[in-house]
Amino acid sequence: MSFFVTFWRIFLAAWKHFTRNLWLSLTTIFVLILALLSVNVLIGVNVLLTHATQNLENKIDVSVYFSPSTTPAVLEQARFFMSGLPQVKSAQLLTANEALAAFKARHAGDKKILGALDELNENPLGATLILKARKTDNYPFLLKALKNPQFDFAISSQNYEDHANTIARVQSVSRSVQLFGAGLVLIFILFSVLIVFNTIRVAIYTQREEIGIMRLVGASSSYVRLPFVFEGIFLALIALVFTGTIVVALSAYIDPRLASVFDGANPGLSAYFVGNALILTITEGIALASLVGFSSWAAVGKYLKR
Amino acid sequence: MIQLEHISKIYPPDVRGLRDVNMHIRPGEFVSIVGQSGAGKTTIARLLIAEERPTRGKISIGGWEITNISRRDIPYLRRQIGVVFQDFKLLPKKTVYENVAFALEVATVASSRIREIVPQVLKIVGLDEKGKRFPQQLSGGEQQRVVIARSLVHRPKVLIADEPTGNLDTISMREIIDLLEKINSFGTTVVLVTHNREVVNALRRRVITLSDGRVVSDQAEGKYLLPT
Ligand SMILES: Nc1ncnc2c1ncn2[C@@H]1O[C@H](COP(=O)(O)OP(=O)(O)O)[C@@H](O)[C@H]1O
Ligand SMILES: [Mg+2]
Repeated sequence: MSFFVTFWRIFLAAWKHFTRNLWLSLTTIFVLILALLSVNVLIGVNVLLTHATQNLENKIDVSVYFSPSTTPAVLEQARFFMSGLPQVKSAQLLTANEALAAFKARHAGDKKILGALDELNENPLGATLILKARKTDNYPFLLKALKNPQFDFAISSQNYEDHANTIARVQSVSRSVQLFGAGLVLIFILFSVLIVFNTIRVAIYTQREEIGIMRLVGASSSYVRLPFVFEGIFLALIALVFTGTIVVALSAYIDPRLASVFDGANPGLSAYFVGNALILTITEGIALASLVGFSSWAAVGKYLKR
Repeated sequence: MIQLEHISKIYPPDVRGLRDVNMHIRPGEFVSIVGQSGAGKTTIARLLIAEERPTRGKISIGGWEITNISRRDIPYLRRQIGVVFQDFKLLPKKTVYENVAFALEVATVASSRIREIVPQVLKIVGLDEKGKRFPQQLSGGEQQRVVIARSLVHRPKVLIADEPTGNLDTISMREIIDLLEKINSFGTTVVLVTHNREVVNALRRRVITLSDGRVVSDQAEGKYLLPT
């Protein structure tokens, strides 16, 4: 007796159960989709919040303004020293002219400031060194490192915007979303297990004559059981395919609409779900199939006591 | 072949199905178990296929002690015993052929073997021409013959038939009994449970009479005794 033939017979039986109670199967799939969606919405919200935090962290920098009279040698020394520190991710040196251009660009709409600048005949700005740290908590160290006698005499002022409050707010939102989301996911999972259990019980009820005969003619327990477990796994896989499609479509729809929140950058929802499609599908598939499979297995148990 | 020693069966909480039943059925015998309704006949049949377990005593079939048979082994026991039970019907949506084949499929028999065996057993019960029919297109007696065909697919050493003539007219009843005798003549041990006096008296074989869960008589060429 080949394994394949047995497998095929069990598969056919499972397919028959599925179609016999089509409406029930469809509602079960619907509930499973809701459960999977709740998980993926939670994942998506987390992705957005992580990206939002990263976005904010990327904005943090220290601008070091040098007095206009600073010699290029001192500027270069400052840049060289700072960029050599392991905590520094980037050290960008803007010349006086570049600093002026950047300043003008920042205040492009402001006639008063631009007018005042034009009245001055020379560039009032000196060179600017823009520093970014690898981690947000490296900034205090960077500020200390700037007190280097080799160039600190040339620093006219410095500007450190840490966005600390905003970041703290985003992180606290993340935490409550995770807590609330986890509760929601748990509830959906509980519902799906109960509903799958019920669906399989109904399937068993409609098959009770076959089951009685199978047992009396000497079918093994697993032969009776497996079609129902397969049926549960069928339902799970169909729900998985639908959910995958919905998630991909939904994230493609949401991305451009959230771009404004990210200063015009792509929120990266779609990229995340497409990039992690395989691993997400496999983990969610295995988790759901084993939950559903176990639930179906338990549902048949009662009928196999004798 | 079949040995029951001091078998008692109490259904929870305290219904006495059988009380201290002893019997020994030899290979190739044709034994009728008779008694009024509620005497415990079906209980014996259920114990033999391990659908119930005895409260006390020992049962063995073909030298295999099944008193405390494990659940894993039950399917193997049942493939060695053919059963014809009252509440063990044909599947209405399957043809005669499919109903018989079903018993082999679920026992994971290869398809090529199934194609060999099904026509053979249908021929034994005289229905080889009617394999494509559905159960409701057959008479009651023919349906019962399909059930018997299905019980024969594993070439059982023992056939247990519980009231196989239950709802049948006299002619169909006669056909079923003839069929059981034919199966017995191939060497299969047959245990026939019935409360039909005509059937038993016509057979002239061993008769075990039960009353209220006890064996009240066991005769080699018996007649149906009316309990006093
Ligand atoms: N599953 C059961 N639960 C409780 N009592 C039962 C059960 N099956 C049978 N009995 C009781 O056991 C006794 C014997 O029943 P049974 O073996 O079916 O008799 P018969 O087949 O001779 O009519 C009866 O009193 C019946 O009510
Ligand atoms: Mg009975």
